[in-house]
Amino acid sequence: MDTLQYALRKLVTGIPLVLGVTFISFVLMVYFGPDKTYDLIGKNATPEQIAEIRADLGYDQPFFVRYGDYLRELVTLDFGYSDSTGERVSRILARTIPISLALTLPGFILGNALGVLLALIAGFFRGGLIDRAIMAGAVVGMSISFLIIIIGFQVLLSSSYGLNYFPVRGWEVYSLGDYLYYVTVPTLAIVFVSLGYNTRFYRAVVVEEMNRDHVRTARAFGTPPAKLLFRNVLRNAAIPIMTRIMFSIPLVVISGSLLIESYFGIPGVGKVTYDAITTGDQPILKAVVGATAVLFVLTLIATDVMYKVIDPRVSLK
Amino acid sequence: MLNRTPRILSAAATAVALTTFAACGGGGQPQTKADGTPLKVYRHSMDGAPVNLDPVQSAVIYSNFVVLNTYDTLYSYKYLTRPYELKPNLAKALPDVSEDGLTYTIQLKEGSGFIDDPAFPDGKGREVVAQDFVYSIKRHFDPQNRSQGAWLWQGKIVGLDEWKENGADYGEDVEGLKALDDHTVQIKLVKPFPQLIYTLAMGFSGIVPREAVEKYGRELSVHPVGSGPFRMERFTTAKAVLVPNKNFRQEPVDLAAEGYDPELHGQFGLEAIDGKAPPFVDRLEIDFITETASRWASFTSDKEVQYSHVPVEQVDGVLASKDPITLKKEWSDRYFSYYGTEAGFVYTYFNMDRPALGTSDDPDTDAKNKALRCAMVDAFSWAERNARFYSGIGNVFPGVITPVVPEFDPETPRDSVTQDMDAARKALKDAGWTPETLPEITYGHVASVTNRQMFEQFRGFMVELGFPVDKVRGDSYATFGDFNKGIKTNKFDVGGLGWGLDYPDAENTLQLFYGPNHTPGSNNANYSNPEFDALYKQTAVMQPGPERTEIYRRMNQMVIDDCVALTGLSRTRIYLWHKNVIGLPDREILGGFWLKYVDVKTGDAE
Amino acid sequence: MNATTTTEAAPAPRKQSESLWSKAVGKFLRDRWGMASLLVVLVYLGIALGVWAGLWGTDWNTLTPTINAEASAEHWFGTNRNGQDIFERAIFSTKTAFEIGLVVAILSTILGAVMGAISGFFAGRWPDEIILWLKGVLDSIPFYLFVAAVAFALQGYAFSMHVAMVATFWTTTARLVRAEVIRLKGFEFVEAAHALGVPELRIISRHIIPNTTHILLVQATITFVSAIKSEVILSFLGLGVKNGVSWGLMISESTNEVTTGFFNNFLAASAFLFVLVMAFNMFSDALQDALDPKKTG
Repeated sequence: MDTLQYALRKLVTGIPLVLGVTFISFVLMVYFGPDKTYDLIGKNATPEQIAEIRADLGYDQPFFVRYGDYLRELVTLDFGYSDSTGERVSRILARTIPISLALTLPGFILGNALGVLLALIAGFFRGGLIDRAIMAGAVVGMSISFLIIIIGFQVLLSSSYGLNYFPVRGWEVYSLGDYLYYVTVPTLAIVFVSLGYNTRFYRAVVVEEMNRDHVRTARAFGTPPAKLLFRNVLRNAAIPIMTRIMFSIPLVVISGSLLIESYFGIPGVGKVTYDAITTGDQPILKAVVGATAVLFVLTLIATDVMYKVIDPRVSLK
Repeated sequence: MLNRTPRILSAAATAVALTTFAACGGGGQPQTKADGTPLKVYRHSMDGAPVNLDPVQSAVIYSNFVVLNTYDTLYSYKYLTRPYELKPNLAKALPDVSEDGLTYTIQLKEGSGFIDDPAFPDGKGREVVAQDFVYSIKRHFDPQNRSQGAWLWQGKIVGLDEWKENGADYGEDVEGLKALDDHTVQIKLVKPFPQLIYTLAMGFSGIVPREAVEKYGRELSVHPVGSGPFRMERFTTAKAVLVPNKNFRQEPVDLAAEGYDPELHGQFGLEAIDGKAPPFVDRLEIDFITETASRWASFTSDKEVQYSHVPVEQVDGVLASKDPITLKKEWSDRYFSYYGTEAGFVYTYFNMDRPALGTSDDPDTDAKNKALRCAMVDAFSWAERNARFYSGIGNVFPGVITPVVPEFDPETPRDSVTQDMDAARKALKDAGWTPETLPEITYGHVASVTNRQMFEQFRGFMVELGFPVDKVRGDSYATFGDFNKGIKTNKFDVGGLGWGLDYPDAENTLQLFYGPNHTPGSNNANYSNPEFDALYKQTAVMQPGPERTEIYRRMNQMVIDDCVALTGLSRTRIYLWHKNVIGLPDREILGGFWLKYVDVKTGDAE
Repeated sequence: MNATTTTEAAPAPRKQSESLWSKAVGKFLRDRWGMASLLVVLVYLGIALGVWAGLWGTDWNTLTPTINAEASAEHWFGTNRNGQDIFERAIFSTKTAFEIGLVVAILSTILGAVMGAISGFFAGRWPDEIILWLKGVLDSIPFYLFVAAVAFALQGYAFSMHVAMVATFWTTTARLVRAEVIRLKGFEFVEAAHALGVPELRIISRHIIPNTTHILLVQATITFVSAIKSEVILSFLGLGVKNGVSWGLMISESTNEVTTGFFNNFLAASAFLFVLVMAFNMFSDALQDALDPKKTG
């Protein structure tokens, strides 16, 4: 009961956050965002037609009317129609978000799992050759552009210049076989690019834990490495690790991966969002930003509640 | 050394590809029909994605391309005849035009049906009638629809503009746009408009049934309901999947009438479609691939898209010679190819409304600015531009009458597209310009790699001419929409643009310099020359012929003499397609019309 | 409380920090990898200063007739499609990178320090609440979405990208500084200053911020790296450097060339970027190790 109350109280404190996020993103992306008008006009427009389109897009309304509309849309979850394609925003998101999720989830899980594993190894051999090698590898991974990684994997695995085992483009998923066929190369690219960052972050966490007295003691008593790492270190490092993972979730769910989606021709939400930013498709932007903000606040609350459940010492202030 | 690696890899990979083709070629969708015969699938690729598939908003070429396949038009172009020639599509014949050129009467074919769709009673597509055409054109004048094509007919059809002013009530008749009966359309013009018939072959005039607009509203844009050869089955940001429209009229192909020439087309196996009624494929997939590297990889993997044009950076690797254009054997063995000059051109305009380079009321300043512009024209090298950005196979021509239109004159002097740095520097000096007095000029461009490199090249020439490097400023815009806003609100002095022809008539490019079309119209240079404008008005009502061509050429010379723009170049595109495809691709004037003629060889054709 | 300490309120932590610093320097000097990476960073800095002074990298924009040339004695990394010397461009880009890195690192560190100090000093009171809320808000917007949006909103300003990065990068620094300040507040010297009626602003600027220097230093190096890496993606998206050239622009130029087997642009830019990022990361790690009082040398 206590926990529920706590969660509810947190939910109320989340409201100013949502308001802040929506306000700032509204100012930046909607009010000062790209002007859709000049994307929509025909080849030989007249000032009257431009005015007509501006009015139709609602650009001629005062600031607070437009912001108020946004909040109303957020509450009713009705964002209307895309300014570009004319499709309903809700329908676009319902179609594209599951695809992005299916696309990025394997890479996300693998990237984090491998990151933790490498971090444990590096942390255990801290300062040694293995640590240096893993960390050097992480820095190398972090220092190569994502673009080049994608192109590299595509050329090596999917094209006639390389092995040509996987498709260059597409997402015709009707069975598990199809799924593996289309998801493998993007997953490799995602793992490759995220592994460096994850390993570095998790290594810092592991090193922190390794320095604790109880771990040092256990080590001094000759606890086998595997047991030491998994029981003494990993269990205590669970909170920072979970926090990082939890806070990545809204981004994985909503933003997808623009570069992956456009290079592999996958109709996910990342591409939709990017197109919306660059063309000023405000109904979509409003929905994506609003959804991300709400999801973030929910994650924040879930994390807090989770801490409380894991560790009752966290005060219920 | 490094550039050999891909080729070595490719040799090894071809073998692997062949052996794994059967295993990996699948990818989910059914490959056979219910009776076991293989499904004929053609997978096309485009270098951009359509935004909106409603004919009223089909200005983007990619939208137009798809719209032409899902909607029917009164006219279209002959499949193989070049230069492009109109032919009746849904219309029975070319229009019956009155003596004064003002009244057009058009008979429609009977028995052409819309696709089966829940928008219609019982879900059965009904017959297309003349009223549908009238309704579809009226939609352009309904302010709710954000039409991008209304400019084509604005001020030209009797009563149509008034209809809009009176509140765009579809129940109200328009004097100049009538259905005389179910199969007869009558259009009355305010003044002669010889280009009218071309506009009836554009996606903008695609025929939309009112039931569908009422059912889908704005979402008609992603759910096309037309009477074209295909029905849209799926549409995402990455691809479109189309299947044949069962109710499409049966019309066997007469290959000879379409301009078949065994000499030119014999190698492509097009004879196979003669006498059969299109569309031929069971499924048409169109992949939208903006990234050239990805499109090229997909095409050359031999199991995905079956068509691509050769990206600029691959031209040197694919061609054996550039003049004439021939492919290396390894490529011609693998693929069919065809090439053509684009229907359109690229040019870089000077903004005449801005003080730095523009016209002025003060005759001295005016003359000085003109001298500066002409020096810039002389300093610019189209040969270099062509070599670096268009693989050296682009078609450079003086002025704005492009090589694909019949009015093009190959004899026009080429001074304006030939670099002469010494003359340019001298002219600059003679006009009294010095590095100190030269104005600061702003060059607007979209922030893509190529556009930035073009700007750097432009700046390089200007620096050679005598501009201090910091006086040639780049102004980059992240999107075309923002760049376009910059153009339409006169934010910069110089801007590079491309123009795709709407129809093969030089009027379509000359109007880019017609005074009354100044920004936000299409005259981005804001060129205003009373003499030019008078000639334009005169030709606007003239039928094609030597007399009109002569005036067109005079107008062209004015644009050249006044140094309004660096112009121009028409790109050459090389199309490649897999050998199991029967067809002749085109992305210019013919555009999407050719896809209904595509057929695919199945089984052991190779 | 000792009644004799009237002028200097904080002898104890000062001494502690002095010993921390001298220990840290000693520790850093003994770190071979750290010293090597610092050397590399200094070489880059030298290159950037040289470009800035006009000593080299001046020909980055000169067109020559040889296009897409392979490496030669005249053009060390060959030329690009405009016939511009790729080596010159890579050198010039070093200046661009330092410009972005330094501006963003310094500004976001200062902003983070000030915000963090205020927030920590007034912990639990309204200035803290507001700053925490602002941080929460900025953290809830996906990074690239936010940066892209700022860059769009400020389009036409040369520094839109810098502003966007500063606006997002300060939050991490502020969080760390806030935690440290809350820890420092418990120290005697701050409480003493308070008791003596030293104005709060003075306490923050004279006594608290100086004691967070080790955090700021490490954060600044991390921000520097993030800034030059973000520039690559932003330039690819068309939101980056407006005039001039950068490694990001060179890499996006190369994305189509690599499939044709022309790797010079890609290799030159990636190598320059890679070495600097790598050196900076290692430098940052060494710095962190040296400044961490918990670690023993």
